[in-house]
Amino acid sequence: MKLQDPVQQKTAMAIHWQHLQLPIGLKTAAVRTATDHLDLALPDFGEEGLILTFVNYKGELLVRSGRMPDEEGQPASPGMGLLSVADRPLAFRSSGPIHFSALVLFIPAQWIGVFLKSNAQFGKIEQVLATEENIITSRLGRRQMSLFSAALAHFESMGEDQLRIQNNVLSLLEYFLCNRHRSLLGVTAASDIDNEDDLSLIREVESYISEYYCSDTFTVDSILKKTYTSYHRLNFLFKSIHGMTISEYIRNKRIEKSKEMIADNAKSISQIAYEIGYSSISNYILAFKKVYQITPGKYKKQMDNLA
Amino acid sequence: MTVAGIAAGIEVLAVNVTMLAEDLVLNFLPSRGESSYILHFDEIDIPGNGDNDTAVPQSSPSAEWPHSSVSLSDVTFGKVVNYPKDRMIRSLIVRVRKASLEHLIQDFDAGAVNAILESAGHEHSITWPITFKYRLLLNDFMSEIVQHPFPELFTIRNISILIEYLLQQFFVMDKLGKEGNVLSIQDTHSLSRVEQHLCLHYKKEFPGIEKLSRISAMSPTSLKTKFKKYYGETLFGYYQKNKLEHARKLLDNKVPVKVVATEIGYSNPSHFTLAFKKEYGFSPWHYLNPH
Repeated sequence: MKLQDPVQQKTAMAIHWQHLQLPIGLKTAAVRTATDHLDLALPDFGEEGLILTFVNYKGELLVRSGRMPDEEGQPASPGMGLLSVADRPLAFRSSGPIHFSALVLFIPAQWIGVFLKSNAQFGKIEQVLATEENIITSRLGRRQMSLFSAALAHFESMGEDQLRIQNNVLSLLEYFLCNRHRSLLGVTAASDIDNEDDLSLIREVESYISEYYCSDTFTVDSILKKTYTSYHRLNFLFKSIHGMTISEYIRNKRIEKSKEMIADNAKSISQIAYEIGYSSISNYILAFKKVYQITPGKYKKQMDNLA
Repeated sequence: MTVAGIAAGIEVLAVNVTMLAEDLVLNFLPSRGESSYILHFDEIDIPGNGDNDTAVPQSSPSAEWPHSSVSLSDVTFGKVVNYPKDRMIRSLIVRVRKASLEHLIQDFDAGAVNAILESAGHEHSITWPITFKYRLLLNDFMSEIVQHPFPELFTIRNISILIEYLLQQFFVMDKLGKEGNVLSIQDTHSLSRVEQHLCLHYKKEFPGIEKLSRISAMSPTSLKTKFKKYYGETLFGYYQKNKLEHARKLLDNKVPVKVVATEIGYSNPSHFTLAFKKEYGFSPWHYLNPH
């Protein structure tokens, strides 16, 4: 991704979707930008159907779905796909600087009827999407990421190679649906792991973490020693099941716990930091901010005001 | 054998037989009313050829057609497809209405294609030798279509990709033809024998130029030049690309890197990792764990 000239970046123009109608009957749109502040809604295709969005970014991104403008939105992860219903609003926001690229695929209801309805499980996907503000997400693999960036590159050379864009997009769609199909059949929810040993290993690690995560001598290394696995292997398994690395998982657990402790209002923030295993308070504040986008002090104030 | 009507104007016929007991003749009658094209992608092989490397095929200039090939024909005049018995056949035949093909590919220049087909003689058909890309796609298609959760989507995706390959090849070949680089039928057969050998024996070591030269009945130098011109890759480059695509397929199926390396014929996994990285720009491990 090319970095824009910093002067240009500040006076960034409004971000636009670039649209393309694919020969096969799908519509697609793409955007690639580097900006200080992002608030981008999905384009409106004015038709009934489903929208599959692929996003990749560097920075912090929130996905806000549904009609609740006061909601902050869910944190996203780079390299993910989101399936949503076409007439519901969905927006991507970032309050800080961000490199953001997205590819949107609109699948008309009629097209779904011809190409997807023969799968009995597809009804389940529609059911999930029909309730409330649900979106279905899935992480992309290396193959999919390269399809994604190839499609974007073709977009930039504008429509020269529609057939390529079409093929990349169709492959992405197929991957997404097959991935979801597997998990909807209940093989293992939201993961590619279907090996019993791997699952029991993860369960063991999870219970070990929940027992010791507050101890200041607790490290990822101690887990590796206990379970005789390599760091890479464990991280890979964690990512496929939880969608985050093992250290992110531990951090989230600690921060969650600290949030409860703040809400109890019995201890000072530095006391809490030490109690959940942080050796330095600034590390703790940074971690808290990463998870909840607010410093623990401000959060405490908010809670106090509420009380 | 299965026939499926996919979307308006596209029909697909897939043939997947490990050993054909009798000659098979498919006769497409001249279409009445709307005219259409037939694209077909055939992989024809003698069963068991993949395992047995000892016999170097004899070069017979009479060349037993049909070979593995891809072709584009105007079916307005009818079309007969012939498969000889005792062969392994993997074939995908797509009939597309002209209007639908134009719809499928917006910048498709039907006029130019028609002109080339007309200049191809009374059969209104052009045929090219198959490449490993088609082989891999046909292989995937046949093995996965049976249990694919979204067969229609899967089929249209594959057809769309096949058309992309076909068009790419179409323009390359057309350009070569205009530059006067037309290969004789004999050369075409020789090269496709080499191509087939490189594709089928991807698990073994690169055969070496002497052997390939014997297979093709060409001198090493002219084999090298002609192959490069016709397939756009050096002999080794072609062999290596095909090999690594097979590796990637295995990685997609969650086969561990070490096993993949042995499976495609590397005795040392780090040699495989290096080759993979050279080809794709990232290591197998990073391919599996991109985030």
